[in-house]
Amino acid sequence: MLESIDLTKKYGTKTAVENVSLRLTPGHIYAMLGPNGSGKTTWMKMAAGLVKPTSGQILFDGTPVGIESRKKIAYMSTEPYFYTWMTVRDVGKYYGDFFEDYSPEQYGRLLAEMELTEDLKTSTLSSGMMAKLKIAVTLARDAHVYMLDEPFNGIDLLARDAIRGCILSRFSPDRILLLSSHLVEEMEAIADQAVFIKAGRLAETADLEDLRTREGVSMADRYRTIFGHEEATK
Amino acid sequence: MKNLLKYEFRKTLSVKLALLGLTAAAEIAFLAALFLNKENLLAISIFLLTMLALGGVMVAGLATILTLHRDMNTKQSYMLFMTPNSCYRILGAKVLENALSLLLCGGCFFALGTLDITLLFARAGSLKELWEAIGSMLRTINSELTLDVPNMLSFTIGLLASWFSAVTAACLADVISSALLNGKKGNGIIAFLIFLALSFLVSWLQQTLTSSVTSIQPRFLLQALIALVLSGGMYFATARIMETSLSV
Repeated sequence: MLESIDLTKKYGTKTAVENVSLRLTPGHIYAMLGPNGSGKTTWMKMAAGLVKPTSGQILFDGTPVGIESRKKIAYMSTEPYFYTWMTVRDVGKYYGDFFEDYSPEQYGRLLAEMELTEDLKTSTLSSGMMAKLKIAVTLARDAHVYMLDEPFNGIDLLARDAIRGCILSRFSPDRILLLSSHLVEEMEAIADQAVFIKAGRLAETADLEDLRTREGVSMADRYRTIFGHEEATK
Repeated sequence: MKNLLKYEFRKTLSVKLALLGLTAAAEIAFLAALFLNKENLLAISIFLLTMLALGGVMVAGLATILTLHRDMNTKQSYMLFMTPNSCYRILGAKVLENALSLLLCGGCFFALGTLDITLLFARAGSLKELWEAIGSMLRTINSELTLDVPNMLSFTIGLLASWFSAVTAACLADVISSALLNGKKGNGIIAFLIFLALSFLVSWLQQTLTSSVTSIQPRFLLQALIALVLSGGMYFATARIMETSLSV
């Protein structure tokens, strides 16, 4: 279980995340939704142990995130982060050197599915190819938690279908999948839970099946309700 | 640790290869000039080799500082900090890489220098007389100041250890800037002032604690030891700040 308790992150006078208490349990695919700058990425980075909270806690299986949790949480940042001297093969080797749950065979399969070859240099990849590489190497881990920040950014429609398939193939009842995206409709086809973050605060968590059956609304409808005014005033 | 160290060496590989290439070119020029009796080329190649020896050690240290800075302040930092390694290990690999690079670089240039001087004396006996004249001049300043291998070796060790402590001081200042002062006005200047203060402190302690030692070799070696102990302290302080406060 991945849990944040009264989690706050401030950058100087700006508050990126404010008192967010959230519990993610295995067996669910979560869609983390909110406009740009709402705090989704900062929350994920804190869960990945990359950003230190100003206050509050973030726990993985009851223990504060750190070295041990990084062995079990696979995080994919929205920005490219590979060393520029690396080839696609080097990226795989790097993950193999540091993560025990990494599978080179799985990486090879995912690369083939993403139509990437190992000899390509990361510095020459287009944004779409880079996005595919990030997904391939992250999903090549047999992790307990997958956190993918904007996995569909810069990816065309056809490739999106392939990526959706790859993401869903990693789902199992003992795993947590957390995805953030601006493409709300895209997420509706994957996720079963929604986490709405508004201006750094947790606006709502919702079971999508409940939303549909009890209230007769889709995730996109709820998104419009929560953020509609904010988006309109932008 | 082995893997971290491997990638630290890889990150500074291009700098080391460039240094190696330049040194090889200067050495070939030196040998060619020596055996073909080209005096101008000999003078230029000796100048180049001296500059490379001094600059090479400096560049190896600067490469470590720049790599650490990039690893904390660009998106590439995720590659390092999302791995299941503590900041003590991550920084440890960087410090160790730097120490090994300095040793390797210093050792190579020392060996190359000794070999080239020997060759030079063998080819041109008059230069040996000049060398001895410089040596006797130095002895008039201090009777222990001789241009022999043990003295030069202890001086080189002292110099490398002092430079190593300067690199760890720069790492500490950079981490303070990135972790504690990030986003604050004038953090670069504050970090630079911290670096100057730490360097001054190391130098002052080296001078103060060895002032009673009159022999040159023990003094150089004791100064090296002090620099290494202080580097250890700065390493722990840096890693502690990274572990508790660094957000990438």
